[in-house]
Order: sequence, then structure tokens, then C-alpha cells
Amino acid sequence: MMNTMRRSVRVWLAICGTASLVLMLVAALGGAPAGAATYPTRPVDMVVAFAPGGGADVTARLVAGYVSKKWGQPINVVNRTGGGGIVGTHEVLTSRPDGYTLMMDNHAVNAMLGASQTDLPFKWDERTPIARVTFDPVFYVVKFDAPWRSLKEVVAHIKANPRTFRWGTAHAGGISTFAITQFFSVAGLDIAQTNRVVFPGGAPTLTALAGGHVDFAGQQWSEVLGLIAGKKIRALAVVLPGRLKDFPDVPTAREAGFPELDVVGWQGVTGPPGLQAEVADRWDQAIREAAADPSFLDQAAKIGKVIAYLGPQDFRKFMQAEYDKYLPLAIKMGIRK
Amino acid sequence: MDTLSLLANGFVAALSPQNLLFAFLGSVLGTLVGVLPGIGPTSGIAILLPLTAFLPPTPAIIMLAAIYYGAMYGGSTTAILVNIPGEVSSVVTTLDGYQMARQGRAGQALAIAAISSFVAGTLSLLGLTFFAPPLADVALAIGPPEYTGLVILALAVVVSLSGRSLRKGLASALLGALIAMVGLDPQSGRRRFTFGVPQLIGGIDFISVIIGLYAIAEVLVSIEEAMARVSAIPITRLFPSLADIKACIGAMVRCTLVGFGLGLLPGCTPGAISFFSYDLERRVSRAGSQFGTGAIQGVASPEGANNAATSGGFVPLLALGIPPTPALAVLLGGLMIYGLQPGPLLFEKQPAFVWTVIASMYVGNVMLLILNLPLVGIWVRLVMVPYPVLGPLILVFSVLGAFSVRNSTFDVWVALAFGLLGYAMRRLDFPETPLVLTLILTPILENSLRQSLSMSAGDVHIFFERPVALGFAVVGVVLTAVTLYARRRAGTGATGASRQEGS
Repeated sequence: MMNTMRRSVRVWLAICGTASLVLMLVAALGGAPAGAATYPTRPVDMVVAFAPGGGADVTARLVAGYVSKKWGQPINVVNRTGGGGIVGTHEVLTSRPDGYTLMMDNHAVNAMLGASQTDLPFKWDERTPIARVTFDPVFYVVKFDAPWRSLKEVVAHIKANPRTFRWGTAHAGGISTFAITQFFSVAGLDIAQTNRVVFPGGAPTLTALAGGHVDFAGQQWSEVLGLIAGKKIRALAVVLPGRLKDFPDVPTAREAGFPELDVVGWQGVTGPPGLQAEVADRWDQAIREAAADPSFLDQAAKIGKVIAYLGPQDFRKFMQAEYDKYLPLAIKMGIRK
Repeated sequence: MDTLSLLANGFVAALSPQNLLFAFLGSVLGTLVGVLPGIGPTSGIAILLPLTAFLPPTPAIIMLAAIYYGAMYGGSTTAILVNIPGEVSSVVTTLDGYQMARQGRAGQALAIAAISSFVAGTLSLLGLTFFAPPLADVALAIGPPEYTGLVILALAVVVSLSGRSLRKGLASALLGALIAMVGLDPQSGRRRFTFGVPQLIGGIDFISVIIGLYAIAEVLVSIEEAMARVSAIPITRLFPSLADIKACIGAMVRCTLVGFGLGLLPGCTPGAISFFSYDLERRVSRAGSQFGTGAIQGVASPEGANNAATSGGFVPLLALGIPPTPALAVLLGGLMIYGLQPGPLLFEKQPAFVWTVIASMYVGNVMLLILNLPLVGIWVRLVMVPYPVLGPLILVFSVLGAFSVRNSTFDVWVALAFGLLGYAMRRLDFPETPLVLTLILTPILENSLRQSLSMSAGDVHIFFERPVALGFAVVGVVLTAVTLYARRRAGTGATGASRQEGS
């Protein structure tokens, strides 16, 4: 009796041992697919190259909240600021492509940077695109009580008084500079005759506009919302295919007579070069799901963002199109160096 | 409904158990964030922002706001006890606060910092309560030329912070200006002084500089001086006498006005504001000549000013949606997540929310006073911790603090390098406050000067055509001249704010 029992225990042990050995071997040999299927096994860092509270940061927190709830794994938003986003971007692009360091990319540190700077510590297009998430449309704005009620009237005024016309931009080569340069170029105006005033960010630019220290600016939705609603500044056009539900009175650039205007802010997830396709797919799938989720759409609208999902292939094409658009503008502005 | 009844309703809501709890949590966290160097209100609010996913808007914003003003209470603690400012806005508090601690008056310094913070915080909230929309328009009227004038006025402070040798003070100030220029040229976007180092493109973070110059340098100096510490001196009394508080009443009122007024301006950082207030007090107060040697007004003034500035900062935030400081930019992000778009419409559409949050700030200030006064007794014992334990702890928190600002090890090296610089400056009797002041002011000056000239197509007349800008600049030049004259007459030129040797 005892012997039989001992033997059966031994048999069981042998079976268990063999089974676990086999399992370990399978795990070791087939490590890559098994690992990817369970990605992420630990928290993921989502780097934002800008300070908390900005467009990329708010979108990152929105996406991180959604995805971490879905996967049950924390997605940490990490702000690595400095150098107009170059510092944080550089860190992501030189990090291990294991899927645990990704970034909430945006217009500013992507093609726009590639078009305006030739001596970056990284190649602008070497990142792995995962998914574009949102648009942050540009509004062309003037002071609320300014005499101009349309972009056409602004153009007429600049033609008559170029030397006293002052326009504000946030940062030296940022989206607002591109937006205004494109406007001048499309309207056939000589930008060099006017006065450009550079501010350290969207908030000070719009403060100066509302206070009458500059005449004109092109800033993003999330930045202009409050001042438009508070009747301190007036939007003359928004660069989007259709009018925004929250601003039914603001015409699109096409309606305002400038269909060529197409500078747009955006946010999307990218990773370091050589990121595993499985990781990118898993993220893409999660974001595609989020982009169709009404509660996610609702939250995005509250922070001044339009959902503009694109998958990896289309996202890459979009980035290249952005570059082709911004390169001639950067040369025209004289900021390419 | 008029403002008072709206505010009364706000108080009723703010005193509900749930809102009280979150105001208290925010106050505690804020104090903690303020005490730790490096971890400021910006990162404190950013870390807790995800909580907004679980909380209704009112308690969440009450808590985030409490972290912001609570941090201003905590920042003075380490500045007074161990000469290490917890926040940029408490740098100037080290001048008199640490001297008081060395004289055994640490408790009184901590208590007056809390009382002054409370008085200025509460008085300035009255400004926020009754005048927010009209004051927001004043903030808009201040443009680049006015900021240029304001910085010229602020630079006059350099002379009075220079200590015994004007040359050493100016050298320190110029070094600060030079350090501020590392990174991207703000107007052209071109790189300067980056020497091909990618991390330098982002500039040198001033929190790392302050951690190095104050915390690490302090530890180095203390080790060398065989740990002759504050703890050796008996603590005379824990709380200031009634006469002390009376002597500070004028300072509290003045710092409220300066702090609230400058706090309204989106281009004026809290660090600069406490310097302004300190310098004004030094010139106006009867105790002015004792500034730098442990004058109690020298603690009350900057600590009150930074609290008044936080209330001031809420004016453009709530009335216009413009965040004047990085911490308030994060708070704005929080408001937007709830779909609460700041601006005049917020007051009309969401009166219950706005007035509950404002009322909670009054409540929070009372809580912070009640929280901080008993803490004085505990904090004071902190300096009795033997230095072989305290010193290494300060170093650990310094490294953590420097890292946490941008999550970058590069900033830790920067802090260590500035620790060595700070040590050398102390040994050679170079004051470090002018360096910190110009580090804060140079970017404002450079931007506003070049913006003004862009506005006028390069014509300097713009400064003469705008009376406010001209007024600031003229007062600045006159003050500098007066101070220089006073120094010459005094012979050695020590006008009070000099560091006491042998520290």
C-alpha cells in the first residue's frame, strides 16, 4: 500500500517535472511570439517632449488612461521637456525598441522639425509610426474689437499698411509660424515687410493679442477656446474640412476664401526605430478602438481635439506629406538651418 | 445674485465633508511638495492629474488648487532650517530665515512664515473674489515694453543683494545671465552655448541650479566646518511674540499688494515676485538695515508675497483661461478634462463650481495655518538630527529632486556641478542670490526687449511712448543710483543683505 503510494507520487513528480521542462523549453524557443502576445508585461513609458498641460500632454494622458484601463497595465506619461521638444524626442528615438518606451508625437517635433532643422541629433523620419490619434486645428485670430471681420479684410489691411502690422507666434519655428507664413504666401503678401513678434508659447502669444500688443495670430483650438468664448479675441477662420460643432459661427479656411491653408496640429503615438511589429499592431488596435468609442470622442472634444485616427501605413504617408508641405515654407521663412 | 451671496453658497459647498477632505489632502500634499526641493507644485499637480478620472470636478480641482497654494507654505521650511529653498520662490527667504535659525529663532521664523502666508493668502483672495474680471483686463494691458521696464526695475535689486563687494555681486549676476542664455535663442530658435550636447539644447534647468548652489553646497560647507550646526544653539522660543507679529503687519500688507499685483501678470514668475517684495520691504521697513542678519520682516515679506501671487495667478486663469505659471497650466489641463473652459463664461455658466473652489481656498488657507503652526515644533527638532544623518539625507533628496524635474540624469550632473560652484562661491565670499535672480530675470528681459523692438520695427521710441514701461524703467534706474550712492557713503558698502561669513 505504502509502496504503491510512494510510486504513484514519484510518477506524478516525474510527469510534473517533464511537463514543466517541456513548457520551459517551449517558452524559451518560442519566446518572441509568446512574449508579444502578453505585451505589456510591465508598465510602459509614454514620453511627452513638452511640459504638462500642453496639447501633446493632454492627449497622452487621455490615451494612457484608456489603454491602461483596457490592458490592466500602467501607461506612465513622462514629460521630458527642453529644446523645443528635441531633448525628449532624441531620448525616445535612441531608446530600446522593446515597446516600453514610446512617445506621444506631435506636429512640432516631427516633420516640422525635420523641415526646419538640418543638424538635429536624430533623423526626423526614423521613428516607427504607430497611429495618429487627434487633430488640434489652427484658428486664425484677431483681437475681439479689431476692425477686421474676415481674413480678406486682414489681407487688404496688410497690403495697405505692411510696416505697422504685427503678428505674434509661439516659438521661433513652431506651428503658428508655419500657419502665418502659409497665410501670407497664399494671400500673396510679403511677410518680410511686416513685424513678427515671438513669444515663449501659445498662452503669452494670445495674451499679447488680447491686450492689443500684436494684431494677428494663428494658434490651436486648445489654446484659443477660453479667449474666444470670453470675447477677448475673434476667430476669423479654422483650418478643418468642416465647421466645429462648438464654434458654428467660425468659417473654415475654405469658406473664408483660402482653401489652400492646411497647416494642422496633430498628436499620434510613435516609437523608436525598429520597434517590433507586434507591439505596434497591439497599440494600433487599441487606439483604433478608442477612436470609435463615444466616451473617448467626447473627452477629446472637451480638451479641444478632433479624433483623426490613422493606422501605421497611412500615418507614415501623412508624415511624409507633412514634410513635403513644410520644407518649402521653412525655406521661404528663412528658418531652415 | 451678488458676489457675497455667491461666495456664501460657495462656502456652504466648500464646507461639505467631501470637499473639506480634499482641501485637507491637497493642503497636506502641497506642504510636502513644497518642503521637498525639486518636486514642485507643477509635478505634484501633474502626478495627481489622473485622479481626475475618478473624482467629480469640484473636489478634484479643490485638491489640485490646494497643492498649488499649499506648496508656498512648505517652501520656506527647509529654506529657514537648513538654508535650502524648497521652491524657487523661497530662495530669498534663506537670507534672513537661515540667520534667524542660527540665532536659535528657527521656530519664530517658521511661524511668521506661516502667519504671513496665511494673512497675505487670505487678503489676496479678497482681490480674487471681488475684482477678478476687471483685474484680468489690467493683466492684458501689460505688454512686452512694460515687462522690459519691470525687469529693469527688478535688476536694481542686484545691487542690494550684492553683499560686501559690489564687484562680486555683479560677477555673480552676470554668471546667472550667462547660464540663462544656454539653450535655444528664444527669438530665432537657434542654438547657443550648447557645444553639441543634445541635453543642453533644453537649457540649464534652474531647479537643478538651485539644488546645487544651495543644498549640495550647504552640505559641502557644513562637512568642512566640522558640523557646527544650528542644533548647538538653544532654541529660545518657539513662537514669535506679539511685538514680532505687530512689527510684521506692515510687511504683510505690502507683500500682499506686491505679490497679488505681480501675480496677475502672466509674464512674471513667482521667483521674481518674492525678490521684488523682499527688496521693497528692505527699503521701506524700519528694520531695513537689519535685513540679511535675521530680520523677521525679511521672512514675512517674501513668504507672504509668494502666497499672494498664487491668488493673483488664479485671476487670469479663471477669468481668461491664461495660465501665468507652469503649475497653473497643468491645472488648466485638469479643468479642460472636465470640460470646464475658463473664461468669463465660467463665472456665468458654472457659478457653483467657481465659487466653491474660491471659497475652498479661504478654507484651505485656514487649514494650512492650523497644519503648519504645530508642525513648527516638529520641524525645529529636524535640525537636532545629527549632521552625519541629516547631511546624507539632504544629498539623497537633492539628487532625487534634480532628477525629478525633467526625469533626466543630466540634470543630476548639473546639480552636482553647481554644488561645487556654490561651494567655491561661499569660500570666496561671492553671494549666490544675484546669480539666481538674473537666472530668473534674463529670459523675461531678453524676450520682452526683443519682442518690444519687433513690435516697433526696431524703433526704441516704443519704450518712451508707453508711460507704464517708462515709469518702471526710470524708477529702476533711480533706485540703482540711490543704492549705489548709499553704498559709497557707507564705505564698505554692506547694505544688509550680505551673507554672514562663517556660515
